[in-house]
Parts: sequence; structure tokens; C-alpha cells
Amino acid sequence: MRRLAWLPVVVGVIVGIVAGLYYAWVVNPVAYTQTAPASLRADFRLDYLALIAAAYAGDGDLPRARVRLALFADPNPADTLGALAQQRLAAGRPVSEVQALALLAGALGERPTPFAGGETPPPAVTAFPTRTPTPRPTALPTRTATATPGAPFTLSTSQPVCDPDLAPPRLMVEVRDRSGRAVPGVEILVVWDDGQSRFYTGLKPELGMGYADFTMEPGVAYTLQVSHSEEPIAGLVAEACSAPDGSDYPGSWRLTFVQP
Amino acid sequence: MALRVSIGLVIGLAVGLIYGWVLRPVKYVDTSPDTLRQDFRADYVLMTAQAFSADEDLEVARIRLAALGPRPPVEIVVEAIEYAVAEDFSQRDLETLNRLAVALRSAPSAGVDGP
Repeated sequence: MRRLAWLPVVVGVIVGIVAGLYYAWVVNPVAYTQTAPASLRADFRLDYLALIAAAYAGDGDLPRARVRLALFADPNPADTLGALAQQRLAAGRPVSEVQALALLAGALGERPTPFAGGETPPPAVTAFPTRTPTPRPTALPTRTATATPGAPFTLSTSQPVCDPDLAPPRLMVEVRDRSGRAVPGVEILVVWDDGQSRFYTGLKPELGMGYADFTMEPGVAYTLQVSHSEEPIAGLVAEACSAPDGSDYPGSWRLTFVQP
Repeated sequence: MALRVSIGLVIGLAVGLIYGWVLRPVKYVDTSPDTLRQDFRADYVLMTAQAFSADEDLEVARIRLAALGPRPPVEIVVEAIEYAVAEDFSQRDLETLNRLAVALRSAPSAGVDGP
């Protein structure tokens, strides 16, 4: 009988817990209206990254872009941006968006040790600054290598490459500025008999920010032109190479463009 | 009897609320930009304005601002400008934001006003 005396309390507790959880989870849940970019849904997060790159393309402020990217705690944002550029290029997104992503990926990839040469380091982003998101550098930042407007790229070297590990054959392009630094975000047009395509340097940061490649079809002659270059390079065909076992395989091309 | 049930209810309610609000609250891991904190919202608008200053594509700017909610884009930019002024953003940032606001006011809206 004494046990039954506690039954109403137990029933009350259970009903109360259910009611409390219903109120806390359904009727009036914790409202997250003060969220940070890191909590964004994956697609919004990618759009946010693209926006950071677009803003960087507008103002060229690399320390600020670094602070914005730091909000996502990505250990290698250059690779993330490079991969995103490739995805967006494949998805047919605007060229300006792809170039902006490649440009920022290149800027980050080429300067892995930041803040040398007089730049003021951005603050650690444990909390987002309430004022201007980043302090201005005390000295003008050294911009990542970009093509000098109007200065044409010229073909420096062009050579067939016989490497059995390079399959399928590729047009491998390297673009450098006049100081020898790799230049990301450069558009390259490739034309063949019944088609054409465009690709961009900097989309494979692991191979260098001035690097780009295009897969060749054996037997097809390609004409390649780097934007801001004076002349197209014609007659690029995957030439036959001999493997050690005597078999043939199609070879690649490596072309280097520089600003004189 | 009724008193015991009431005591149980109160205890249970308290436990439920503590568990639901404190120990294991609803987690919003897939949020959208319209839930961003005000400083992040202002920076989002500033980034949109900076991108606009490079590409001058007002339609893209409108699409980006639409992620911050259903309000007219110019209102969102004005709100960001007010925040920027209050928080002492740089003159350059204010000018960038203002250019976007002017462009949005000057251009016809993208089919949201109706005939």
C-alpha cells in the first residue's frame, strides 16, 4: 500500500518529463538566431566560401580573406577552394566566380607562411570582431602574383612528354609572371576540329598554382591559347611514345608561358 | 493524491526542461544565412558589396542578399550600413556598402514589385 502511495508522484514525474521535453523541443525550442558561418548547411557554406573569394577579387585584401576563411576552421582552405573551383567550373557557373576561387586558392597556396614582409597578422578568430572584420595591414600587403594587366604571356618552352604514368595524355600548361611566380586564375582556350574548351590555372593547387591541364584525345590536333597571349599554339597532337616493353602509348605536352 | 501528482508533474517538468534546453537542446547544425549573427550578417553584406564592386553584377548581388531573408535587398544593405557606422567600419567599407545601396535603389527591382 505504501508503494502505491508513490505511484501518483511517479506518474506525475513521467507526464511532466514528457510535457517538458515537448515544450523544450517542439513548442519553444532553443532558437539559434545568432549563428556563425561554420554552422551553415553544406551548400550555404560553399556559397559563403565563393562569396569570400568574390570579395577578395573585389578588394584584394588577403588578410581579411584569411580571417573570413578561419571561421570555418579548415586546415587547408587553398585545397578546398581549388576543389570548389573545379566543381563550379564543371557545373557551368560563371567564369568570374571560378576565377575568383582560383585566385584566392592561389593566393593562399603561394603564401603558406603568412605575414612575412611587414603585413600585420589578422587576429585569431575565436570570436568574430564586432568592428571592421579585420584590421588593415599597416603596410601595403604584397599581392599574390597575378597577371599584369595588358602584359601578354609568351610561350617559353614547349615539349612533348613521354611518361607512361601520364595516362590519359594531357596538355600541361604552366603560367608564370615576369618574376617567375606561378599565376593562378589564367584562362586557357583549347580548340580542336569539332569543339573547344576553357580551363584555368590554379585549380589543382597540389600541382602548383600556375598549373593547368587538359586531357587530350589521341589523334586529335589541338590549338591552345592562353588569355593575354599574342599567338595561339597550333598542332599539338598526342605523339606516339615507346614504352620499355616495346608497346606504344600516346604522349603528353608540357608548355610554359611567361610574361617577358 | 492530487498534491502528489502535482509534485511529480513539477519535478518531471523541471527535469524535462533542463534536459531539453540545457543538457540536450535542439541543435541547428544546418543553418541558413538568415540566422547569422548581426556582425556576420553585416560582413556578408560587405562581401556582397565588395564582389559587386568587382563584377558590377547587380542580379548576382540581389541573389546573394536574398539568402539573408525575404526583405527587400536595399533594406538589408541599409541595415548593414547602420551597423557599420555604429561599429566604426572603415571609410572604404562604408563607401563600398553605400555604392551597393545606391545601385540597388537606382536599378529597377528584379520583378518583385509587380506591375
